[in-house]
Parts: sequence; C-alpha cells; structure tokens
Amino acid sequence: MRKSVGSLEARTYTEAVQLLERENELAALRAALDGAVQGQGSGIALAGDSGFGKSTLIEALCADATAARVLRTQCDPLDTPRPLGPFRDLRQLELVGLQRREDLLLSDLCEQVYAALSTEPTVLVVEDLHWVDAASIDVLRFLARRIESMPLALIVSYRDREIDPRHSARRLLGDIASLDGLTQLTLKPLSVESVGRLLEDTDLEPARVHAITGGNPFFAAEVAKEPDLPLPNSVRDAVLAHLSDVTSHDFEVLQLIATAPDRLDDRALPLLGVDLPTLRRLDATSLLSRTGDGIVFRHELARQAIETTIPPGGSSRLHAVLLDVLEQVETRDPAVLSHHAVGARDGARATRYARMAAEDAARAGAHTEAAAFFATALEHLDSQDPRERAALLLQLSYQQYMTSRLVEAIDNVRATFPLWERADDPAGLAAAHEAVALYEYYSARRHQAETYSGRAAEIAAAPAASLALGTARALQGYLAMMRSEIDQAREFFAESTQVAAQHHDGLLSLKSGLFHATTELVCEEDGARTSLLDHIDAARDGGWDELASTGYSQIANLDVEHGRFRAAENLLQLSIPFTVERDIPICRHWQTAVRSRLHLHQGHWSAALEDAEEVLSSEGMPLAKLWPHLVNVLVPLRRGEEVDLHALDEIWALADRIDEPLRRLGVLTALAEVSWMTERTDERVAGLAVDQLPTLAAQPGAAWGAGQLAVWLRRLELPVDALDQLAEPFRLALEGRHADAARWWNLAGDPFAEAMSWADSAGSEERVRGIRLLDGLGAIGTADRHRVVMRAEGHAAVPQRPRESTRANPAGLTNRQLEVAKLVARGLSNAEIASRLYISPKTADHHVSAILAKIGLPTRRAVVVQAAELGLV
Amino acid sequence: MKRFIIEREIENAGDLTTEQLAGIAQTSNEAVASLGVPYTWVNSYVAGDKIYCVHEAEDAETILEHARRGGFPANKVTEVANEFGPQSAPAPVS
Repeated sequence: MRKSVGSLEARTYTEAVQLLERENELAALRAALDGAVQGQGSGIALAGDSGFGKSTLIEALCADATAARVLRTQCDPLDTPRPLGPFRDLRQLELVGLQRREDLLLSDLCEQVYAALSTEPTVLVVEDLHWVDAASIDVLRFLARRIESMPLALIVSYRDREIDPRHSARRLLGDIASLDGLTQLTLKPLSVESVGRLLEDTDLEPARVHAITGGNPFFAAEVAKEPDLPLPNSVRDAVLAHLSDVTSHDFEVLQLIATAPDRLDDRALPLLGVDLPTLRRLDATSLLSRTGDGIVFRHELARQAIETTIPPGGSSRLHAVLLDVLEQVETRDPAVLSHHAVGARDGARATRYARMAAEDAARAGAHTEAAAFFATALEHLDSQDPRERAALLLQLSYQQYMTSRLVEAIDNVRATFPLWERADDPAGLAAAHEAVALYEYYSARRHQAETYSGRAAEIAAAPAASLALGTARALQGYLAMMRSEIDQAREFFAESTQVAAQHHDGLLSLKSGLFHATTELVCEEDGARTSLLDHIDAARDGGWDELASTGYSQIANLDVEHGRFRAAENLLQLSIPFTVERDIPICRHWQTAVRSRLHLHQGHWSAALEDAEEVLSSEGMPLAKLWPHLVNVLVPLRRGEEVDLHALDEIWALADRIDEPLRRLGVLTALAEVSWMTERTDERVAGLAVDQLPTLAAQPGAAWGAGQLAVWLRRLELPVDALDQLAEPFRLALEGRHADAARWWNLAGDPFAEAMSWADSAGSEERVRGIRLLDGLGAIGTADRHRVVMRAEGHAAVPQRPRESTRANPAGLTNRQLEVAKLVARGLSNAEIASRLYISPKTADHHVSAILAKIGLPTRRAVVVQAAELGLV
Repeated sequence: MKRFIIEREIENAGDLTTEQLAGIAQTSNEAVASLGVPYTWVNSYVAGDKIYCVHEAEDAETILEHARRGGFPANKVTEVANEFGPQSAPAPVS
C-alpha cells in the first residue's frame, strides 16, 4: 500500500480525490475481485487519458480487497523501458531469474508467475501499460490466456492515445478484445454536473471549469484546490499554482524526483542529502507518494508539470547527480543508469550501461528493448576501434531481426562492412555478408541473398577464415535447395560438412546434416523424414533451438507440400509452441503461414484466414507471406464471397522476387483456379504455365506442386504434358480415374480436393456428389461454378444451391474452436476441456455451443460419432 | 525521544561476519546522519534469523524512514514501554 511521504498515516489517494461517474467501472472491478476470491479469474483493461482517474479507481478497488492479496506494479516512463520491470518490482512473488546476469527463459518465468498467482486469490495491478516493455507483455498474455483458470483479478491501465499499432501492448489489447474473461473499459471525461460537485465549496462556475479542463478529473480537482486564483490555462499551471510557498531548496528536490521517473530509491536519499524534515514539508504539497522502496509522484501529470520547471541545461546536471548516486546503490540497474547517463550527456557511461542493459534485455527475451539499448550504446560510442562498433552493430541487427525489422537489420549489418575491412578481419566480414544474405532471403530477395552468400564464401576462402567458408557454404547450399538445385545443394553441404569436421565444429556439422536431410526430403528419398527428425532432436539436445526450429519449419512445409496433412498437423501442434517458448519469431511466422496453407487443404476456411491474417498483419518476413496472400484470395473465392483479385498482381511480384520453382508452382496453381472460377483467361496461366509445366515438373521435388497445376490446367482444358513425373493422386486424376483420386484425397484429409475429384468425373452422379460435398464444405462459390457448367451441358439433375450448410463441417471454426472441437470429438467433458485449455467450464460450454451451431450438429455425442468424417481425429 | 525495539528478519543473520556487520553499521550510521532529526542507534543483537535493534527517535515513522534509507527490513517496530533490571529490585532492608 502506498503511503504519503514522511508520515505514518496512510492517506490514500481516493480520500483526496472524489470518485465521480465511475460507478459502473468500479462495479466491474469489484466483480472481478469477487470472481478472483471465488477462484474464477478475469481481467480488466482500464483505458483513459492522463488524469482520468485510472489510479483512483484502482486505489478504491484495492481498499476493498480484504479477501485477496493485492499486488501492484507499474511501467516506467524511461526512454527505453526496463525489460520485465513490472515483474522485477513484484518482489513478493520471489520470482527466480530476474537478477542481472542470470539466464532466464521467458517461458519459465511465465510458468513461475502463473504458479505464484495460482496459490491464493490475488488482485494484480499493472499500471501505465503505455510504457511497458515487450517481454512483460508476453508474460501478461500468458496470464490472459489462462485467466479463467486462476483465482486472479488482472487489472491493467493505459492511456489509449499513446498506444499506436506498433506498440508492444497492442498484442495484449488484441487478446483482451477477443479472449473470454477479459474486458476493456474506457474512462470518459466528467460531465458538467460532476465538475460542479468537485467545485461545491467554491464560487467557481462549473461550465467554465468544465470547458477549460475538458472534464479531466485530475485537472478539475487541482483547479478546485485554489479557487481564489485566476483559472489556470493548463494542468501544469494548476499544479504549480499551489507550490508558491515551496522554498527553492525543496523545489530542487522535487525536480530531482521528477528526473527519476521510475522512482527515487530511498537508499539514495542519504547520498543526495535529502533529510526527513524536507520530506515532511514536501508531503504538504500532496504531490508525492511512497512505493515499496522509493519516492514517486502521485500523478504523472504532476511529475511532468515539475519537469517543465527545470531550466535549460539544468536537467543534465540533475541526471548527472542521480547517476553518481545510483551507481553507489545496489542492485544497480543498467537500464536506469543508461537513462540517466544519456540525460547527463555522459557518452562513455551511456554506452557502457546501455550495452549492459541491452545484453540483459536480450537474455530476458526482450528484443525490442535490447535493440533500443544497443542503438543507444552505438549513438554514444566514442571508440576508435572499428571492431567494437562493428560488434555493436551486429548485435543491434540481430535484435532487429528477432523483432522482424529486416530492413533496418540489413542496413546495420552492411554498415559493418567497411569496419571489418578497416580492422583487416576477413572472418568478421564474411560473417557479416552471411547475415545480410540470410536477412535478404527472409525479405524474399533471393538473388541478392545469393550474391551476398557467394561473396561471403569468396571472402572466407582465405585460409585464415576457413570455418567461415564452411558456414557460407551451408547457407549457399540452403539457398540452392530452396530453388530446387539439388545437386548443387548436395555439393555445398558436402563441403560444409568437411570444413565442420576439420574444425570439430558441432553446430556447423549438425546444420550441414540437417540441411542435407531436408534436401533428401524435398526429393522424397526413403528415410529422409526420420533422418531430419533425428537431426532436430540432436539440435534440441545441443541447445541449438534456432536450428531445431528451422528443421521443424522445413518438415512442416514439406509435409503440406507432399500431402501429409495429418503429419503436418501433429508436427505444428508441437513446433509452433516451441517457437513461442524458445522465442524464435521468424520461425513462428513461417510455421503459422504453413498452418494457414494446411487449413486451406483441410477445408478449415476460417482458421486458414485467421492464420493468414496473423502473418500478414505482423511485419514478419516477406518470404513467409506468399501462402497467406494466396489463402486470402482462395478462401473467399471458394466460399463465393467478394475477392480482391488485384492482390494477385502483388503475389505475382512477390513470387518473381523469390523466383523458386516450388513457390512459382503454388502461385500458378492459384492463378489457374482463379481463371477457372472467373472464366477469365490469364496469360500467365494459358501461356506461361502451359509452356513451363514440363520444365517445372522435371525439377526435383516438384511432383506435387506440378501435379496441382496440371490438374487445374486440365480443368481449363489447356494442354498438359509431363504426366509421368507427377505424384500419385494427380496421375490418377489426369488418367481419368477421378473416383480413385477422390478416395486418395479422402484418406489424406483434403476434402476440397476430394470434392473436386468427384466433380471432375464424367458421370453425372459423381459430379453431383462433388457439388454436394463442396456445398457441405461451404465452398459455395466453387460449387456454383460446377452448377453453371453442368447446366450449360444440359444436365437436368443439378443440385440446388443450399440455403445453409446441409452437412456438418468444421469449415467455419476458428483455431481455438478447432482445438475445442478435437477435444469434444475425443469425448472430453466441459470440465476436462476447461482444465486442459485453462478456461472456465462455462467458457468451454460457450465454445461447445458455438461449435455445434457452426457444424450443424445437435449434440456433442454426434460430434464423437462423426469425428472421423469431420476430420477431427 | 522514545525508545523502540525493531525486529529485522534476515535469513541466516547469525552467519553474518564481523566484516559484514561493520558494513551494515556504516550504512546505518550514514542513514542516521542523513535524517536531519534526533536519532540514536543504541545497540543491536544478532539472534538466529533476526536482528533485534534498540533505537531512539521521536516516532515509529522515523524508525521506518531510517530502515528505508539503509535498505533494511523492519518487520516489527515496538515502542519500549518501560525498562527494568536487577537494579530495579527494592533495596534489601538491612
């Protein structure tokens, strides 16, 4: 509980400020508290401008929370937030791993916080989320997803105006908008009547004060404190109006506290010469309050008002004073010290502390903050050593890559080229070229990537840097494999394996082996998938999480490519959580994109769109966006909804830049489907695709991609060659064995391809069956196209377009609903589903009702019975 | 001034070395000097997982302020109501 400064009596903020027009909000907060006490967790996000009474409401709630433990923490207005600052300050939870230099896995911290908050009813307040760090958001999201299973009232507050689309809090707010048990409340300005009540004991005119203050409760209350003075023009003037009696010495102490926006540590007071009588005098201003271990401003608006009184040049002196003092107080927090060193314009210390803070942040998985600290360190670096600057630039670029800022990452690595040259360091120069090559590739610029990887190999060919030659060869091999130049890839991997053996380099050896196994899987060699899984296990055992995750990305992609949909589904169920747990965002984007494509095959239209949206809305890597773009066109097209066909041109341009046979085949296939659906000739299909199909089909690993294209070309009645190179279901289709093809797809779990195979048949009975299946899948657009064709051919018995889905199907289920539906299909009760998914039985029940409605089945028993048919096993 | 007993819970306090206690004493003295109000640290006793301190100040809030400035815990602050000892017994009647 916060106390007023210098006195023992706890005078709460609520007593000082009236709570007006906040009855509904307070009732919602109290309901959350009651729920927590009864073991039913929930969360509330309080949004409102500065001074709108967020803290007042929270104070009022905490005062009521006698039956629950209250934990309050906040985010600080430092230039760069302290990574996990709000959780570091929650000392009561005794979290392990939050001390400096300790290794910390964010997922472990999440589990720790979850366990610590599950033991007893708790109100957890995190204030000022607009200043939050990205890692704390990850922890809060982890809690938000499990909120209903905890005895927790999670209250967060923020100024909505300060949260732009790129803000790290945005993801949490998205969860709050979509997940059960979480609500967002926006505080509105006060009415004239309420302002009038604040002014009850004064002669001030409510309408005028309301107009000046805009109904801001803090501002209006400040005005009410000095009714005899002329009305102030701003909050600042209102705050400063009642400080006229404060002496210049005391005022400087206020300025010092205003310069320490996190808090002024109590232990700094002796070193600063701030005595108790001074604190008691300042207490009379009611501006300050005390946290567990320091002094803060009761209100940020007051802190800002005081800050504005610091004369030009004065602030750097105050920062310097604080820096000197805080360096002597353990435990020193480099994030805070870096803030003050920058403020003090002390370049050397700014670089030193910013680098330490960056390394801490990187260890804690707070990559956004790590990048910001490395940038600060660079900005103030005053060193003649080119290696030092280059090393910092590389560290910065890596953190930018981890936060999907590829353009900046590339610029920063390129900026190291002249530095390595000046340092005469070919190994560093080669490694930098390799990094640019990889980032260029993720940016979907394959040709640039190959130029840089080739250059890296040339530089590394000097004997002094031969390990670098090995890593460059591994990357060249990877790029060759992705463009289906298998022989060349194998040569590169042979060379990198040899270099790894010479240097006894375990990572390079494993990487070469893993990529080689991937290459064999591309070619569908026997045993390749098992070998790749073995390499992934070895990478996990060795602690090389990124390599293991890359392996998962490759398997998942090839499983979908080769029609192993169930295998892909099982793999992604493990591998996507792994990318989250081990903090590998680039693989998460890629695998989510793969799952989007998988859902498209499985006829899970809504889930496909959901995943596509996630990838497209993140800045992520352009390379991963190809399939999500295609899903965004194909799903509405098949459902008979409006489609933005212009998007196809953008996709075509992207495929051009990637320029790889398998990716090219995917896009040509989609264009062919669009052409068939819209009856519009597309030269890229009628000309290019027809001409190139034999060449593309001859590429290693292209039997499936080329097969998809060939089948669509046949539907368009365009010439199709190269039959013998295609995968089985496509050969069946092209030989006219449509029923066999349909059965193949049914077994594989691709209901759309199954339906299309029936509809491709010669017999009208089979064709009608195909149309009915498409209708049942919700692929009304595609079914309609078949209806048009059949009627034009003079068939009499064409089934009518259904009013609603006539057959149960999971096409409209979201990812979450699919997850629940699979558990229902396995016969689990609501309580069992709730405990598995960390939700309440009530929410599980809501999900089940929604699922039954969407798939058109009366009972959960029916879901169990039809599980196989619904593709839920 | 009033006299207070302060209980400070510190795990394994009994194992603190003379050097460590000297360091704590220095921090405490600096905190006392910084207060700007009358304050006397009388003595302290290390026992098990606790340190018991006898301090003199105007009020308990000042005792807590000293603890905050020193970074010490102050789990319980109790004002001393009275003091007595062997000398408090009535003089024997001869």
